[in-house]
Amino acid sequence: MTEPLITLKNFFERARDGALTGVRCGKCGALAIPPKEFCESCHQRAWEPVALSGQGTIASYTIIRVAPARHAAEAPYAVAVVKLKEGVSLLGRIVDMPLDKLQVGLPVKFRPLVSKDQTTVGFGPA
Amino acid sequence: MRRAAVIGVGVTKFGKHDRTSAELFAEAARDALADAELPPSAVQALYYGNVVGGETEKQLHTGPQAASVLGIPTVPTTRFEAACASSHAAFRHAVMEVAAGLSDVVLVGGAERVLNVSTAEATEYFAYASDAVWEQSVGLTFPGVFALIARAHMAKHGTTEEQMAHVAVKNHRHGALNPKAQFQKEITLEEVLASAYVADPLKLYDCCPFTDGGAAVVLVSEEIARRRRRAIWVLGSAAASDSMLMHDKRDLARVPATERAAAAAYRQAGLGPENVDVVELHDCFTIAEIVATEGLGLFEPGSGGIAAEKGWTSLGGKVPVNTSGGLKAKGHPIGATGAAQIVEVVTQLRGEAGPRQVEGARIGLTHTLGGNTATVLVSLFGRD
Repeated sequence: MTEPLITLKNFFERARDGALTGVRCGKCGALAIPPKEFCESCHQRAWEPVALSGQGTIASYTIIRVAPARHAAEAPYAVAVVKLKEGVSLLGRIVDMPLDKLQVGLPVKFRPLVSKDQTTVGFGPA
Repeated sequence: MRRAAVIGVGVTKFGKHDRTSAELFAEAARDALADAELPPSAVQALYYGNVVGGETEKQLHTGPQAASVLGIPTVPTTRFEAACASSHAAFRHAVMEVAAGLSDVVLVGGAERVLNVSTAEATEYFAYASDAVWEQSVGLTFPGVFALIARAHMAKHGTTEEQMAHVAVKNHRHGALNPKAQFQKEITLEEVLASAYVADPLKLYDCCPFTDGGAAVVLVSEEIARRRRRAIWVLGSAAASDSMLMHDKRDLARVPATERAAAAAYRQAGLGPENVDVVELHDCFTIAEIVATEGLGLFEPGSGGIAAEKGWTSLGGKVPVNTSGGLKAKGHPIGATGAAQIVEVVTQLRGEAGPRQVEGARIGLTHTLGGNTATVLVSLFGRD
């Protein structure tokens, strides 16, 4: 197979512009978040990039109150595993949502968090 | 394959020390060798666990350093890093070396020093075991990882914060009976529930502490073990791994690596969960104990919280879990933890655990988890 793989750098360059990119296995149809060399389900290498909508619901979340040294000034902040409507999940920082209103099942939408030259995954109100 | 047995154990007092990790390991190893009635010259290999030495002590190559401080610098030494499961991973490989007939006497252990840095620094270094790009970048911490598991377990099974608090109360009650424990102090359910959130829904008393300490065990071949009265046999030792990233896990309320490692260890030993008399498992957070009791097959999926609430895992209960006080009360010097759990189970199976002895214990199990539930080791032990 000769499809170009989505590297971490590719993923976050696209994410910076608001686009989430997954990869779908051309053999078994499994969907994954890159980078992946082989499909975890069928161990083939037949990836095709697919656009993800960025819409999903909170599968689990936590409010970090004791933060690592480099994030200490941002605490308290919420981190959630979000199940995207296409079926894969992404971990991200919750922004612009009151911490005491968070719950499992709450709809959220992807939002890139850009600071200097780093892009990270965020989710805001749907 | 040859059988292997543990004939010597040693562990330092857990807590804050003003000594390096190498010194802490050397103290534990000295005691383990004395317990085994073997001289340092008998050791043919050292398998060593240490995790954040590069950060807290600015020290790599901690294996040979530990061997040098112990006084066996020419013994082949390998350092293992498998996050909090490091010295249990070291133990499994030592079992394979003895079983393969390469060595007859292998020293296994580990040590960690973290209380020489601040809580914020230690929290950051421990988070290095999460993925740098996807997880550290958004500020995920280790309490955060297990808080995500706790919230999922609560949503799926109805587990409560009070049930989690029962784990902390029980492990502190056990720890009060262990002179090596960091916290030899009982706590109440009310104190746990009133403690401050660290990563909701986990509170301070749901979390194990940062700890300095060392632990060591002497593993030998059957031929040598047969000449010892107090040998404890290794009946099985298995490892399993799982996806590194939280976002790749299909069910956050489960730890599949625990289920796979346990199945493999039970198969090696020809035993099942119903045969186990005493368990030391990885209670880095109270929810971790609940999920581990389910994954090891001690209780049905989803009923670990009820088991904690009913006291089934307490000394005197159906299957006593973490008689040492566990990571929660005994403490969690991450590189030493796997070996320290083996020290407790061997002590129990020898009948030498004093006020925390499980009467008539014949089969013991240790379970150690590393990172974002991506590494798990399970070993089974038995006496003659």
